[in-house]
Amino acid sequence: MYRLLRTESHLIEAAQAGSADAFADLVHSYRDRLLRFLLTRCTSYADAEDALQDTLINAYRYIRSYDARWRFSTWLYRIAIRNAAKLRTPDVVEIGDLRDDENDPLLQCIRDSETENLWVRARHLLNDEVFLAMWLRYAEDMSVNDISRALDRSASWTKVNLMRGRRALDAELNNAENESEAYG
Amino acid sequence: MDKLANRLRGDADKIEVAISDELDNRIAASLRSVSPQAESSPAPGSRRPALFWWASSLTGAAAAAAVIIIVNSQSAPEPPAPTPADIIASVPVIDWNTETAVYTGQLQQELDDLQSDIRKAEQKVRDDIGL
Repeated sequence: MYRLLRTESHLIEAAQAGSADAFADLVHSYRDRLLRFLLTRCTSYADAEDALQDTLINAYRYIRSYDARWRFSTWLYRIAIRNAAKLRTPDVVEIGDLRDDENDPLLQCIRDSETENLWVRARHLLNDEVFLAMWLRYAEDMSVNDISRALDRSASWTKVNLMRGRRALDAELNNAENESEAYG
Repeated sequence: MDKLANRLRGDADKIEVAISDELDNRIAASLRSVSPQAESSPAPGSRRPALFWWASSLTGAAAAAAVIIIVNSQSAPEPPAPTPADIIASVPVIDWNTETAVYTGQLQQELDDLQSDIRKAEQKVRDDIGL
């Protein structure tokens, strides 16, 4: 882990000095995860790809303003959230409600499973910021402090909304289990 | 780890994505076309020492105290509290008789008319019975 951090800090220094190759190496391991995250935020796969490209370009452009007190991934996700928000039309309140299932990029990328993917359910059940907090916590393994920084919210806000999200999804899971038991 | 967290992690892993060669090339070309911007200079006040803030706070407090002292020292002496006699003298005298006449004049007329009617009725009764 220390070695990884050391390597990451060296790559950051090289990227700050203007090495695009160092930056490409630095973000290589984050690209798939970022694209997966952006799929939950965008209305099409192409939009998610564009948002990923913009995120990486902006990150490189402003790499010298990166504050080493933050985890690099947190900083990167913060940029990604802003870029994805730019692609969304202002009148779209809950993006999950307006997608049709056939064109939903998230649904297209979900591996076949016997049970419904809980993130699809979460997108309909939770409001946008609660969904974001839940994703960063459980899909990206971020700490509460990192989520607070990425969302520009207080730690207490993050804790409360993670709890709300968990309650809503727990209730949904319990309902689904009860229904499946009732129908055999 | 709890059941919900496990489920969410597992379901996130079931979302499969892959960076296509075309996107990879696009990103590489974009990165080559930009260069990091110079770090923005910090805000003018961000590097001031803590002593600066203490000094400005103390100056502000001293200025506020000076203003309070000056205002208090220059204010005019308070006038003496008015005595009951002064208050009575300041109250205007109301002509109650005039007011009474104005408001009861019509009633008085009505009363006089009624009494006149009674007197006439009495007289008519006396005439009828031959007194």
